Amino acid sequence: MISAIGRRTLQALTYLGEIGILAGETVAAMFVGRIRLKLALQQIVETGARSQIVVIVTGAFTGAVFAAQIYFQFHRFGMDSAVGSVASLALFRELGPTLTALMVAGRVGAAIAAEIGTMKVTEQVDALRSFGVSPIDYLVVPRAIGLMASMPLLVAEACACGILASYLIAVQMLGVAEAPYMRNLTFYTHTSDIAIALIKGFVFAVIIVFVSCHEGLQTSNGAEGVGRAPTRAVVISSLAILGMNLVLTFALNIIFPSGQ
Amino acid sequence: MIKVRKLSKSFGGRQVLREVDLTMEEGKTLVVLGRSGCGKSVVLKHLIGLMKPDSGEVLVDGENIIGLPERDLISVRRKIGMLFQSAALFDSMSVEANLAFPLREQGVRDEKEIDARVAEALDMVELSGEQHKMPADLSGGMRKRVGLARTIVGRPRCVLYDEPTTGLDPITTDSINHLIRRLQRRLGVTSIVVTHDMKTAFHCADRVALLHEGRVHFDGSVDDLKASTDPVITDFILGRSGESD
Repeated sequence: MISAIGRRTLQALTYLGEIGILAGETVAAMFVGRIRLKLALQQIVETGARSQIVVIVTGAFTGAVFAAQIYFQFHRFGMDSAVGSVASLALFRELGPTLTALMVAGRVGAAIAAEIGTMKVTEQVDALRSFGVSPIDYLVVPRAIGLMASMPLLVAEACACGILASYLIAVQMLGVAEAPYMRNLTFYTHTSDIAIALIKGFVFAVIIVFVSCHEGLQTSNGAEGVGRAPTRAVVISSLAILGMNLVLTFALNIIFPSGQ
Repeated sequence: MIKVRKLSKSFGGRQVLREVDLTMEEGKTLVVLGRSGCGKSVVLKHLIGLMKPDSGEVLVDGENIIGLPERDLISVRRKIGMLFQSAALFDSMSVEANLAFPLREQGVRDEKEIDARVAEALDMVELSGEQHKMPADLSGGMRKRVGLARTIVGRPRCVLYDEPTTGLDPITTDSINHLIRRLQRRLGVTSIVVTHDMKTAFHCADRVALLHEGRVHFDGSVDDLKASTDPVITDFILGRSGESD
């Protein structure tokens, strides 16, 4: 039992170490390697622009149901006008970044792991190396730039759509008065709340891109391995995002105390 | 040009290579024979630093490349081209883009020069006019030829062939064998061919090395190989497993 726990702990630490080495090599490559701007722009389109639909739908429906639930609870106490501010804070501080990251991990993380994994088992990664091209420079750096640039914007988009949806549900559908709704929304939502959303989005992008690239680059055992890599990438990224969200919530609340 | 000294490699406790010694002579073709899984491709991948051995040395122009960081291996890899077993064409690129890739990575920026060298390489492998196809549209033999064209377009001094005829029909195999020999004569490159196909070995080799149980069991000329009475060698040449029905 104890040896099993020890073995699992060692495996987890080894995995964290491998991710750390990959991240270190990628950051080093951004400074000493060749940045392929065309590939980075392609990745911004692929991971950012093409993720918009899923992110907009996620943000909008989350904002809508959240506004409805807040209204159902707050209406009993006559606090209808607080719906906007509560929805806004919840979206910026927690729901927007976390749900966006989970959706992007499913869409982009899986695609990264599958694509790099296929290249690994078909010797395309070795072919790159044989031409003197570092797989870190060619495969990881553009994806890292693409996702790190896109995620904060996707999170902002999800939050904006969520707030808009909460307005439509609360004001237009459930009859909350518009003026106090808007006054509370703007009064209680601060720049620091938006900063928290963007910072969390960036950190979650780092998790998704390095876990997914690592899974892709470690793929072996042919088609079976290629099938397993995206699943592992999504599961590990999602769990890491949820865990990191808890850490960030407390850490960022020290830097940006709530209500200031 | 390339020397391998006491190269050992194991995977998960299984010793694949045991102190392998090989010398590749400049401008000649060495064929490395051996049964499937005996470590032939592993030797090849060590020659351009795609794998790290447990022990031993790989000397390229006198420099031991073992332990060199990836960025220091770039200059070594530009001297040596490798045709992978699966051809390893980049799926997302056309034939033309695949061939232009190593040239652009070498720093060639003149598009006219790139076009000319791509056309020349495709002509050498008799695939002129196929540059706009995608890898998915090519047959197995064509993929190998495009892979070979991509290998030679950067004008390496040495070409490594990993099972160049595996999975091909006899006619295409013969065509690839002639192509390997023709390229070696025309370009004067040092060639190392890993195969278990005796026709390829007899057609292409200036010298043959036979790997058996992780060691170099035979290293000599084709004539010496054919004349050998060693049962390991004769069984391999004649394809005898020793089993009965």
